[in-house]
Amino acid sequence: METIRNYLETMFARLPITLEVQKAKNELWQMMEDKYTELIKDGKTENEAVGIVISEFGNLDELAEELGISSFVIQGNQKSSEGFCNMKLAEVKDYLHDKTRSAYTVALGVFLCIISCCGYMLDISWNWRGGVFAICFMFLMIAAAVSLFLFSSFVMGKWKFLKEKRCSVDFATAEYVHNRRESFRVTHAMMITIGVILCILSVLPIVIVSSILSWSSGFGVVLMFVFVGVGVFLIVAAVNVNSGMTTILSLNKSDTMGSCFVPSQKQVSYKNATISQIMSIYWPTVTCIYLCWSFLSFDWHITWIIWVIAALVQQLIRAVW
Amino acid sequence: MSSISSDIIRGYNDTMILYLLWDAPSYGYEISKRIKNLSEEKYVIKETTLYSAFTRLEKNGFVESFSENVTINGKRRTYYKITEQGRQYYREKCAEWTLTKEVVEKFIKQDGGI
Repeated sequence: METIRNYLETMFARLPITLEVQKAKNELWQMMEDKYTELIKDGKTENEAVGIVISEFGNLDELAEELGISSFVIQGNQKSSEGFCNMKLAEVKDYLHDKTRSAYTVALGVFLCIISCCGYMLDISWNWRGGVFAICFMFLMIAAAVSLFLFSSFVMGKWKFLKEKRCSVDFATAEYVHNRRESFRVTHAMMITIGVILCILSVLPIVIVSSILSWSSGFGVVLMFVFVGVGVFLIVAAVNVNSGMTTILSLNKSDTMGSCFVPSQKQVSYKNATISQIMSIYWPTVTCIYLCWSFLSFDWHITWIIWVIAALVQQLIRAVW
Repeated sequence: MSSISSDIIRGYNDTMILYLLWDAPSYGYEISKRIKNLSEEKYVIKETTLYSAFTRLEKNGFVESFSENVTINGKRRTYYKITEQGRQYYREKCAEWTLTKEVVEKFIKQDGGI
């Protein structure tokens, strides 16, 4: 029965959601279900019944005219050759594997970047050989981090087409990814929580170390960076692994029967093209202003107000345009 | 054994469906089953063909659809009922077929051309 359902879902996946299409799908499902039930009652095995139902289903092209989808069916056939791809389950598994690997690689790179300044901190407190160790350590860490980033982008380069082409996944694949995401949910939540806690607790080492070993506060700072590094590692890894699965689930367009499998994120869109172009660099600009103002004036205690104002302005613009 | 050419029979799917609806309303699977049985399994109508015939017949006002609860599992099922126009159309199709058969028959050799 599940096989038949998947078959039907796949057949309808690329069609637009209209009343006629939905009705047709329901009716066809009714007939297939009736036929399947009767075949089973007649003593056919499940496999035989599924085979018969599917072989006697026919072809959606026949319905094209009645459903007003002829343009869609023809378009769909042409598209399959260029620019349109249907992701197979094996392919999706491959993608998720690569994505997970790249998530941990990037997270490790970020971790190395964060702790790269630790050598300098130790150097301040112990004053080893005039900073040679600090500089070597920092550049080693950064070199390692950059090579990790490069490696990850090479691995993911193969999957660029996901964004460029109009891809889709079938029902069964989406279900697989969905289950996988569900089972990852607890891990995801744990990783994020521990990551955030580590970031918050990162000040503790400084406080504790400086109260116990007053001679070496640099050691406390190093521990702080390690805490932050591990915390950020966990967060980056969790977010990236999860985003891979979300990418797959949101491949399908929400206006087709295959339908988007994740609740569509509210894409902020502006009707005015010029405004939407300006708004695409809105937040980077705000960040830039914030950093410039803060570093130039060192009024960190007040500059955060920019974020509040920026958010208000954005809401205003969204409301007007 | 030769099978039925779907091009030829397509024009008569409507006739078969109207014939089966003549006495009582019916639903998709039952109609397809009866077509299979009456034709002694020589013709199995595809689900998509059947559904496209239903929508066409309904659009032309030859059948009406209504949905009814099925007692067994509480599902709703769409039933089709023939209309007066549908009966009229059926009579026309019967006449058309008699004529078609008469004409084509004249060109069919009794021994099948062996």
